[in-house]
Amino acid sequence: MKRVSLLFLALSLVLALLAPAGLQARQATIRILYVNDFHGFAEPHRPAGATELLGGIAYLAGYVDRLRPEKPTLLLAAGDMLQGHNWANLTRGKGVVELMNAMKFDAMVVGNHEFDFGEEVLKRRLAEARFPVLAANVEGFPALKPYVVKTVGRVRVAVIGVVTPDTPITTNPRNVAGLKFLSPEDTVRRYLKELRGEAEIFVVLSHQGLPGDRALAEKVPGIDVIVGGHSHTRIDSPVTVGSTIIVQAWDHAKALGVLDLLIKDGKVVWFNGYLQEVKPAPGLADRRVGRIVARYGREVDAALGGVVGETLVDLDRDHVCQRETNLGDLVADVLREAAGADLALINGGSIRAGIPRGKVRLKDLYDALPFDNYPVAVRLSGSEVREALEHGVSALEENSGRFPQVSGLTFTYSPAAAPGARVRDVTVRGRPLNPDGQYVVATNDFVAAGGDGYTVFAQALEPPGEGAGPEAFLHGPRLAYSDPGRWLRDLVADYFKAHKKVTPPPAGRIKEVD
Amino acid sequence: MRVYVNDRPLELLPGMTVKHALVRAGLLRDVQGGKKVYDQWDHELGLDGALAVDLKLYVR
Repeated sequence: MKRVSLLFLALSLVLALLAPAGLQARQATIRILYVNDFHGFAEPHRPAGATELLGGIAYLAGYVDRLRPEKPTLLLAAGDMLQGHNWANLTRGKGVVELMNAMKFDAMVVGNHEFDFGEEVLKRRLAEARFPVLAANVEGFPALKPYVVKTVGRVRVAVIGVVTPDTPITTNPRNVAGLKFLSPEDTVRRYLKELRGEAEIFVVLSHQGLPGDRALAEKVPGIDVIVGGHSHTRIDSPVTVGSTIIVQAWDHAKALGVLDLLIKDGKVVWFNGYLQEVKPAPGLADRRVGRIVARYGREVDAALGGVVGETLVDLDRDHVCQRETNLGDLVADVLREAAGADLALINGGSIRAGIPRGKVRLKDLYDALPFDNYPVAVRLSGSEVREALEHGVSALEENSGRFPQVSGLTFTYSPAAAPGARVRDVTVRGRPLNPDGQYVVATNDFVAAGGDGYTVFAQALEPPGEGAGPEAFLHGPRLAYSDPGRWLRDLVADYFKAHKKVTPPPAGRIKEVD
Repeated sequence: MRVYVNDRPLELLPGMTVKHALVRAGLLRDVQGGKKVYDQWDHELGLDGALAVDLKLYVR
């Protein structure tokens, strides 16, 4: 396929050289470089299962420096750039915008996670950006532009931005209050019509995932290229749906997408694309971008070293997989409060380090809660709460990570009894758990997904009806709270900042009995 | 939201990711051990990738 494309290109170039000047003027090659779902992974890192370091935005920028001068080029970002890794989160995306400015991005579409720091922070980041940030299908946020038309070489290219309409259910609803997310299909159709005559080539910069992009290409003719994000898809070679080319460049700066287009008489007549894998290499890094990465890295280190409060006693991690501990109580309490829940239950295995008595640095909390867990709350019956507790104490002999740390309830259990029949008395606010009562139970997303074998949460979240969509979950009877944009460790940090000196809650929630 | 992992149907919350689907399927450790996740079009996926209704994931 690539050989055929190269042959076609060679023939096209020969014909172009032989053609009259007027015809030559209507033919051009342009290049689109693209990234998506960077999520602030500025430094090289070792992804799960990988045997070597990958990524590093300075190295990716080095490839941009080499590839951009070869052809008239657009550099595009398909969303979820500002939030995710500590490098980005601790400056709320400010460092990402600075390095994107240095790399001279031409446009970016907003991703759902760009809203995670709230509307005011996003407005500040947009004001700092020296490139347009797009979202044609978002109403109520004037700083987001629907499209931009760029002249690339001699070609007029319209770039229309769309973000997933599921954004309100993938960030805290307060972050998008008052905003309306319209159908990407209807929106793109509208702007294709509106921009006809202003551009020859139409690019949709999309943050809705490959399945959505394929549907968009099927339903809306006239899109030349979709540069996508959201599904973190490694599309090694461009795919086509109808006459639309779809690309996406994996995630976390592990790859730079390269797409070359030969355009004749306003139409794409040939394309070639590939992913340039990014990994550290001597002499490759863009030094200016590298300096920005290092400077913000020092800021992150300083922030992590900052004192957020003080604990008056040692906070115990060593026994979180065996019994109640004061650190487990504290984290469960913070979670319950954040989710506005009656009860909270987390897996002891989510806590990975203790915190000694004295001043507490942010880094201590990040070490204690290293996983990117976010709060979820589900309505469970009393019977289901008991079932969850039974599961939590069903593998005591293994010091399993499933051992529960709880808030809002007390329970006793007998280690001598058989697994599944160990829980004895359960009380909520001093009264026995009502098997038929309903309780809002906060947990983390890992447990809610069935992690550590906690199937009761996942089963409770079975769909409200056949064919029900995401909205049915949001307004359905079982899901009470979900905030994928807020890590549990940051909630605990906020708790320390608010309370200064933390006295861990009194023990006595979980007791062994004969 | 229903997705499939190695053809097994699973229910997950909107906003959950490939990683959550693997947790639900009990396959996260396989991926941490070196296996990779692909969609129904045979593209490799990152663990933080967003899911979509009826998306099919394969771990190998």
